Amino acid sequence: MPYRLHKKLWFVKTVVYVCAFVILLVGGMTYKNIQSLSQASNLVTHTYKINVELEQVLSYLKDAETAQRGSIITNDPLYLEPYYSGRDSINNSFAELRELLKNNPTQLNNLKELNKLIDVRIACFQKSFRFSAVSDLGNPVFKENFWAGKQAMDAVRDKVKHMIALENKLLEEQQSELKENLKVTPIFLYMVLLMCLLLMYGAYAKIISNLKKLKKSNIELEMFKESANLSEIVSNYGNWVWNIDENTYIYSDNLYRLLGEEPNAFHPSIENLLKFVHPKDIKKLNKDIKKMMENENLPYTYFRIVQKNGKIRHLKSFAKKVINTDGKKQLIGTTSDVTEEVKSFRLLEEHNLTLERNNKELSAFNYVASHDLQEPLRKIQTFLSRLEEKEAENLSEPGLKYVDRIKTSATRMRLLIDDLLQFSRTNKADKVFEKSNLNLLLEGAKQDLAEAISNEKAIINANEFPIVKVIPFQIQQLFANLIGNSIKYRSLERTPEITITYSKVKASEESNIKKGKKDNYHKITFIDNGIGFDNAYAKKIFVLFNRLHNKDEYSGTGIGLSICKKIIENHKGFIIAKGKPGIGAKFTIYLPAKL
Amino acid sequence: MKKDFIHIILADDDEDDRMFFTDAFDELKIGTKVKTFNDGIYLMDYLNSNNCELPHVLFLDLNMPRKSGLECLYEIKANPKFNDIAIAIYSTSASEEDIEKTFVQGANIYIKKPSSFKVLKKVLSEVVTTNWQYHTNGLNKDNFLLRL
Repeated sequence: MPYRLHKKLWFVKTVVYVCAFVILLVGGMTYKNIQSLSQASNLVTHTYKINVELEQVLSYLKDAETAQRGSIITNDPLYLEPYYSGRDSINNSFAELRELLKNNPTQLNNLKELNKLIDVRIACFQKSFRFSAVSDLGNPVFKENFWAGKQAMDAVRDKVKHMIALENKLLEEQQSELKENLKVTPIFLYMVLLMCLLLMYGAYAKIISNLKKLKKSNIELEMFKESANLSEIVSNYGNWVWNIDENTYIYSDNLYRLLGEEPNAFHPSIENLLKFVHPKDIKKLNKDIKKMMENENLPYTYFRIVQKNGKIRHLKSFAKKVINTDGKKQLIGTTSDVTEEVKSFRLLEEHNLTLERNNKELSAFNYVASHDLQEPLRKIQTFLSRLEEKEAENLSEPGLKYVDRIKTSATRMRLLIDDLLQFSRTNKADKVFEKSNLNLLLEGAKQDLAEAISNEKAIINANEFPIVKVIPFQIQQLFANLIGNSIKYRSLERTPEITITYSKVKASEESNIKKGKKDNYHKITFIDNGIGFDNAYAKKIFVLFNRLHNKDEYSGTGIGLSICKKIIENHKGFIIAKGKPGIGAKFTIYLPAKL
Repeated sequence: MKKDFIHIILADDDEDDRMFFTDAFDELKIGTKVKTFNDGIYLMDYLNSNNCELPHVLFLDLNMPRKSGLECLYEIKANPKFNDIAIAIYSTSASEEDIEKTFVQGANIYIKKPSSFKVLKKVLSEVVTTNWQYHTNGLNKDNFLLRL
């Protein structure tokens, strides 16, 4: 946007300069035209004056002639008066004419010739006066004189006519010349002015539209600034600019607030900022600032500040160099208040420590369970076996029975401890996923249970399984627990039969695992023909130590299925149980196809 | 006659276990001479003494006061004098960690103390009659833990 405005400004400037130049030009030309016009009018006046004077000369001469004739006819000298005054007037007119024609040599010549002709005419007059109409009409000299006078008069008249014609011709020539100039220029000037006006209008329109755009972008800028201000307040950060060339700083309002001050409470500078910095962080921050000044760059830096009210806040600063439109270097930075993050990070660290401690306690407990608890139990069992072996004959019937009872209890306690250990082992962190052949794992599980399977003559039917990335020993454990479970809770009326099926399914098509995060799952189903259970307990059976049967009937510890659930959870899968009392149970497990 | 005895030493802090151990060998009727020590310090003192008779098989309990079985194992394996002694770890627990550590340190077999005297006798006779020289060659982590 600024660049575009800049370009338009250039256009407007050019238009204004061109217009000013054109107006100056038009003014100059108009001045010249007006000068020409007045010159033309002067020419007309000049010619007119010459013509009038010439006509007057002729007229005075005529008056003189009339006077002469009058005096000749009447022989009365009284008629001669205009003749005398006419002579003076002609002289005056001649002086005038000479002045008027001083720039025209041709006409001056003509004027001299006219003067001579007039002199001839006047000489004729002089001669004629000696005659009288009464006495001398018949006198040949008189007649000759009179004739000569008339001829001179005609010559004068011709001359004057010729001179006037010449003058008119000259006027015409000069005027046509001026007119030639004037004919084109007014229209041309008018057009130029019109164009100029159009250009000016264009420039004006441009300026107005630019102003509108400027106003619009100003409003947008204002809004943006406001939203930036708000976001600064909401997300607890402030902006600052370091003008590298001038070494001046601009702080945003919220930056002052982060420091616990009102906006513009102090002059923005490094020195004033450092006044807020925690004494322990000043050295480090100074080093960072020095680096910033040298490199004109500021990677993340953390420091604490102490507000006026004594509160300590944690700040984080980051800046980047930019070169603005004027080509000046600026470092634009943000400083955010990370006190809450630091606090929650500390809290997290504390929690982590607690967790670690708890984990250590748990492994300590594991050790106690595995070692210390097992030891006395083992000894009880060993002593019992010794008692049975060596002292059996010394014991009474009830005594032998009691020994047997103690043995049963001890065996059960061993079972519990072993199961509990196994359960806590499935919790251990070091689980390694490996590509495993599920068929082999099932085979392994069957081997683990070989005694029970052959004792009960259990039949196990299984599909072909694929190779899946799992924690092998856990999956084998899972298979063993599920098969062992089916054998343990077999129906006494029929041979235990376990059918294991496999299929690959899509999570979206299985109602059981709608919540599944993965798209595809391996689905393995264990179906048996055992005693089954009421579906109401379908979830409860996975809870630790939960048993559906009395321990005299069935020897479970209530841990086996909890281990199964734990294993499936480790694999991010699902396990679902369904049962029908007296008919059988169905366990479905889902393992993600891709981890 | 003396030559044919198999010399056996057990280091275990538990009095009952020492009793089961000696009783089992008494009943086994193999030509054995069994010595027991209460902890690692006594054991090492004896092994390092001049008049000591080096055992053929040494049974080491891991969890003992003062000096643990693992520490004894380090010392024995560090000393070439004891190269010919077969070492059986004899412990209540069979945690992966313990098995791993003792295997790496060069023990020959790991025995989890059985909870029946009958089984104990079977285990001990098995261990004592094994030709350890031969067995060591095929030793790996899978057959390290004795299963019966």
